[in-house]
Amino acid sequence: MPDKIIEVKELVKEYKTLRAVDGLSFDVFDQEIVGLLGPNGSGKSTTINCILSLLKYSSGEIRIFGKEMKPDAYDIKSKIGVIFQDVAVFDELSVYDNINYFCGLYIRDKKQRQECIEDAIKLCGLDDYRKFRPKQLSGGLLRRLNIACGIAHKPKLIFLDEPTVAVDPQSRNSILEGIKKLREDGATIVYTTHYMEEVEQICDRIIIIDKGKILAVGTSDELKLLAKTEEKITIEAAGIPQTLVDKINGMKYVSGAEYDGQRLVISYSSAGDNLTRIIDEMKDNGIRCSRIYSERPTLNEVFLELTGKELKD
Amino acid sequence: MLLHNFMYSLLVLLRSRGLVFWTIAFPLIMAVLFNLAMSNIESSEKFQKIDIAVVQSEDYDNNMIFKNALEALSGEDGLFHIKETDLKTAESMLNEKSITGYLTLSGDDVAVTVKNSGINETILCRVMNEIKSDSEIVVSGGTDVINQKIASGEFNINYEDIFREETEKLTGGELKFKDTSPAHMSYVMIEYYSLIAMACLYSGLLTIVLIDNKMPDISAVGKRCSVSPTGKFASITGSLLAAFVVQLFGLALLFALLLLLGADFGSQLLYIILLSVAGTFAGLTAGIAVSVLIKTNENAKTTIMISITMACCFLSGMMGISMKNIVDVNAPFINRINPVAMITDGLYALYFIGTGSRYYIDLASLVAFSLIMLILSWSRLRRQKYDSI
Repeated sequence: MPDKIIEVKELVKEYKTLRAVDGLSFDVFDQEIVGLLGPNGSGKSTTINCILSLLKYSSGEIRIFGKEMKPDAYDIKSKIGVIFQDVAVFDELSVYDNINYFCGLYIRDKKQRQECIEDAIKLCGLDDYRKFRPKQLSGGLLRRLNIACGIAHKPKLIFLDEPTVAVDPQSRNSILEGIKKLREDGATIVYTTHYMEEVEQICDRIIIIDKGKILAVGTSDELKLLAKTEEKITIEAAGIPQTLVDKINGMKYVSGAEYDGQRLVISYSSAGDNLTRIIDEMKDNGIRCSRIYSERPTLNEVFLELTGKELKD
Repeated sequence: MLLHNFMYSLLVLLRSRGLVFWTIAFPLIMAVLFNLAMSNIESSEKFQKIDIAVVQSEDYDNNMIFKNALEALSGEDGLFHIKETDLKTAESMLNEKSITGYLTLSGDDVAVTVKNSGINETILCRVMNEIKSDSEIVVSGGTDVINQKIASGEFNINYEDIFREETEKLTGGELKFKDTSPAHMSYVMIEYYSLIAMACLYSGLLTIVLIDNKMPDISAVGKRCSVSPTGKFASITGSLLAAFVVQLFGLALLFALLLLLGADFGSQLLYIILLSVAGTFAGLTAGIAVSVLIKTNENAKTTIMISITMACCFLSGMMGISMKNIVDVNAPFINRINPVAMITDGLYALYFIGTGSRYYIDLASLVAFSLIMLILSWSRLRRQKYDSI
């Protein structure tokens, strides 16, 4: 079993009457990408800030690399990289100088630092912008600079707190590829987001959080098993008679069928050859379908079933 | 790590247009504008000796220290033109505005009567306060000498010689109140002094930016710095040193420009620089206090610091020297806690009476002000974990 890099036990953080983190316990293992998934205000960033010893917490225990995390645990801090949700760079410094400054807080040796900076610039695709000031960069490039400043010193453990907020799809993909590359290079990553597609794309394990509590932990596939609906088939067709809708409703594995005059949405409790059977049914009844597609449940649906609300609410 | 923080803080400050404008360019622009505006007034309204009256009385005749001081101040290069007269005539001269004010002695107490608030009235009040405090030192010293002589059985005492010797001890052989300045105080010099004080206080703008960037509860950059293995003390010290260097550079440019514009700091330049350095320290610490104690964004803090500085300048007489006297007379406490007033008061003291006690009191007041600002900020500065960020 890989080494535990982070151990969080019964973490509680209270703001007067609000309990922002409510008895959170989880471990993160070596070279793992763990996603903390939850809607805005669910306690993801608060948890990260407690782990980093920026926030006082009411109770609980946090250990990183096997040692208790404290504000003056500089040996632990030297192995950590953090990319906060808000872009944290100096407007007055160029891309290169920003990376050099933050990297210099960790690495004193100039030669070693220079190599690290070059690697970070390459990884984040900032080679053409090294002399640019942050205000001259697009939103996506700015986010990439934010990441470069946090990872240039080659940390063993990286926290990324919603690094892709307000980023264009191209930059988002570039950022996600970069994160995968960091893991390949040996880093352990904790990634917080409320974008389920991102955690599905890059995370080995996902921790779903809401109101400061862990709702579920597992791989993407494991979590999807928690959903009652395993498959959803949508048929776009006009003139489907109600008798046919009622018939479909009575078919094997169908947990529900709804027709609004244009689209028939059928939910199945088990996946199988549902698509073949429903196409046959439509043919037999002479229904001309303009479009048929099948969907697996998303993490949003898992979240919806666990909490009764949408992940993006 | 301290050097790394110092170098990059320097870079950040020098590349910030707003900061460079307020801390370096603005005082230079103001110096040129003051020079243009005041040179006309200077030519039409040269500083002249201040006409005052002293009410003759037995107390006045017997107060040798006071008489000597006034004599020294009314010489050829002196500040005052003094007429000795009776109370009624003095009052009538004051009403006719032929004198700035008159002095009456009751025992060792000197009362200054003025009718208006203005630069001459301010100078008169300041000099009389200085005479009074120095007189007390001379009397105390003289009394000790007399007591020692009596204790040793010596009863043939020349009191006049003893007090003269004590006076000379205090003044280094020359009466302190003599006008030792290289030229008479001009309006433009008064403005230049205010400008130096203002520039010192503007150093607070530099620390607002730098400290904001070190505090995780204030800025994202502060959060990033706080999770690094660099200690807060090294980080903040490096930044403060950078702010200090930038401000001293700005002051050096200001002094150079003022000298080019004809400002005459005489032989007191080193003391003026010392006072300016203390003033800069006061400005830097005031900026730290604004940064950590006021919870708002950086722009609002900058506006607050500029407003505080301008208010302090106004109260210390930048927009009209009479304001300083009005505050001194009606609410003296305000200028005792106003760092701009401490700087300008120290500069006036240097100009009129040299490096006397008043100068050192102002210097010490600035150091005390800085320490108070640091003490107020300390608990926030040293905090490592926060309730909320």
